[in-house]
Amino acid sequence: MSPVAVTTARSSPPRPPAGPAAHRRRARPARRGTDGTAGYVFLSPWLLGLAAITAIPMLMSLYLSFTNYDVLSDWESTRWVGLDNYRQMFTADPAFWHAVRVTVVFALIATPLKLAAALGVALLLNRGFRGAGLFRGLFYLPSLLGGSVALAIVWVNMFNRDGAFNSFLSWFGITGKAWVNDPDWALGTLILLAVWQFGAPMVIFLAGLKQVPVELYEAASVDGAGPVRQFFAVTLPILSPVIFFNLVLETINGFQGFTSAFVLSGGTGGPVDSTLMYTLHLYIKGFTEYQMGYASAMAWVFLLSIGLVTAVIFRTGRFWVHYSDGDD
Amino acid sequence: MTAPRSHSPLPRRRLLRGLIAGMLALPLALGGCGGDDAGDDGKVELSFFWWGGEARAQLTEQALALYTQKHPEVTFKKTWQANQGYFDKLATLTAGDDAPDIFQIDDNFLAEYATRNVTLDLTPYQSSGKLDTSKFPEGLLKYGVVDGKLAGLASGENTQGLVFNKTKLETAKQELPKTGMSWEDFIAWAKTAGAATGVPGTMDPSADYKAFWVWLRQQGKEMYNGNQLGFTVQDVQAWFELWKGARDAKATPTADVIHEGNATDVTKQLVVTNKALTSWVWANQMPELQKNTKDELGVVAYPGDASKQWPRASMYYSVFRGAKDKDVAVDVINFLSNDPEAGKILGTDRGLPPNTDIRTSVSAETDNASMKQTIDVIAELSKNYGPAPSVPPKGHSTIREELKKAAEETQYDRATPAQAAQQFFAASQAAISR
Repeated sequence: MSPVAVTTARSSPPRPPAGPAAHRRRARPARRGTDGTAGYVFLSPWLLGLAAITAIPMLMSLYLSFTNYDVLSDWESTRWVGLDNYRQMFTADPAFWHAVRVTVVFALIATPLKLAAALGVALLLNRGFRGAGLFRGLFYLPSLLGGSVALAIVWVNMFNRDGAFNSFLSWFGITGKAWVNDPDWALGTLILLAVWQFGAPMVIFLAGLKQVPVELYEAASVDGAGPVRQFFAVTLPILSPVIFFNLVLETINGFQGFTSAFVLSGGTGGPVDSTLMYTLHLYIKGFTEYQMGYASAMAWVFLLSIGLVTAVIFRTGRFWVHYSDGDD
Repeated sequence: MTAPRSHSPLPRRRLLRGLIAGMLALPLALGGCGGDDAGDDGKVELSFFWWGGEARAQLTEQALALYTQKHPEVTFKKTWQANQGYFDKLATLTAGDDAPDIFQIDDNFLAEYATRNVTLDLTPYQSSGKLDTSKFPEGLLKYGVVDGKLAGLASGENTQGLVFNKTKLETAKQELPKTGMSWEDFIAWAKTAGAATGVPGTMDPSADYKAFWVWLRQQGKEMYNGNQLGFTVQDVQAWFELWKGARDAKATPTADVIHEGNATDVTKQLVVTNKALTSWVWANQMPELQKNTKDELGVVAYPGDASKQWPRASMYYSVFRGAKDKDVAVDVINFLSNDPEAGKILGTDRGLPPNTDIRTSVSAETDNASMKQTIDVIAELSKNYGPAPSVPPKGHSTIREELKKAAEETQYDRATPAQAAQQFFAASQAAISR
């Protein structure tokens, strides 16, 4: 995703990178028919993939969400149960609401912190000093490792009782605890891991910062604006479409957190359910308790909720995202 | 259901099922696909799936190679992996109607699979003599019966074992724990021994269903009566209170260390990592534990009346109901259980050999001291066993996790024993009546 945004941004300097809302409608091609067929033929590998890997399984899971499908039984003994799974979710599964809470806390804290870290580092790197390219690469590295299991294992060991973090604390005479084994702190370590992987939004911010016209800063400083004022009056407004883009992506990412929680808790969401993310609860329901119908229902509620959150972000975007199109 | 799987009544349903299979199986990049039936040339290839480490893989492959040597027409497609993720994969394969012909399973999941008709009922083979169980202890064999069907054949026997650090205790001139101590005496011992050695006396087993279960049986209760819970909320509360007392008396480590011990990984048990003097395990895990520490370990029964422990099948071999050649598959597990040569190869890796003749000869020939001690301890205990419980019902794996969750709430002081007991009891009832 990010490379696309970056290249489009480069081609026309005054325009911000193409955020999701920056579409422009084009005139329809005059000729139809043959062109369309050829288009679909060229698209077919992708279309087939979309159908086989995304669309059909999604429809299947929608269907399954109304059944008591349990993975192991004969298909013949799978029954249609109507809205029972949904009813159970909202009224009879306390762990569901707990998982929602854990996930919301995680996303609400991790996403802004990650974006702030990304923007802060991007601002520093944008000052153009020797070796900035090297640092850019280094800061981006953790994102390349992404949701990797190895990274989560390293994290668990770092924040364990005898981990590197506690060795560091001991230099200052502080005796740390086993952070990952403490229900009050386990989620915190996961948030920290997510924030640390700020490389992807950072690169996008950096590309956005390079688009800010120098004349604006010159004009601002002629008017007597200091660096802080310049940041709020020039940088932030020009950057707002990029912030918007990153906010949408990272919010969705935040809600979908799974790997690190799975590894840290050995797949249980422990200690004491403190890392029971929504997706992890879904996985446990489907694959260890064999309630795949229920898990499918959870997946659909999840999809709709994320859609809703994204829609809300889009609505609020009207009030704070500024598009300075080329003709301004 | 014995109908071959290719004769499903409704094509549309088969299509749906296939789609689900594809959907579930796709990301797993499975081995074991290719549902071709046996060819006409008499050659049979059976898929065989188990969990375990490198050592078990070698032994199992040797034993299967021996079978192929004796029956050249039968070959095996062997797949194995670590315990974590094993049952996810088995479930996925089963969902795709592509379960392995023979697979390893344990008592957490046997009822889940058997009640859903995934496993072949072995009773007819047993009565026709194709599956020889005459040398199996009765309780062990019955521990594989679900709803009157022999769903799994025990591939090893074990029982609860309390493993202690002998070296540390002897260095500090402390008494060693003994079979038959009462729970109160044991906790008092743990407190004294812990103070003397500087290592907490015992892991807190309140999150451990197997300790809870033994304790329940000693109170005249059961974990399960058929498909019902065999205990009351008061029992759970008393259990949690017993261990809260032990924690308050500093007989156990702190909650975060206990949490480490609650992880199922054998090699991370606190007796091995030197964070407690005793750990609550299955007796047959003793040699594996011994490998991971320089200190000498010992093993005794859990506290209380040891005759309430039982011969538990550490794991089973099950045959898939849709297996390619069921007769051959049954013959293979018969061979693994009863053939003296195969028994010698497999040793006590999956638990004590289920065939008591083979068990005796393996015990006589082994030169592994901790294995010998394990066999002796289990043999000693098995003289006094009372009636064995039946295999845990469907929902057990959820109940196990719920117990861990509730117990940890008390360990972290986030709930009183009474609150945690309520929570666990309600969750267990929901899980078992599903």
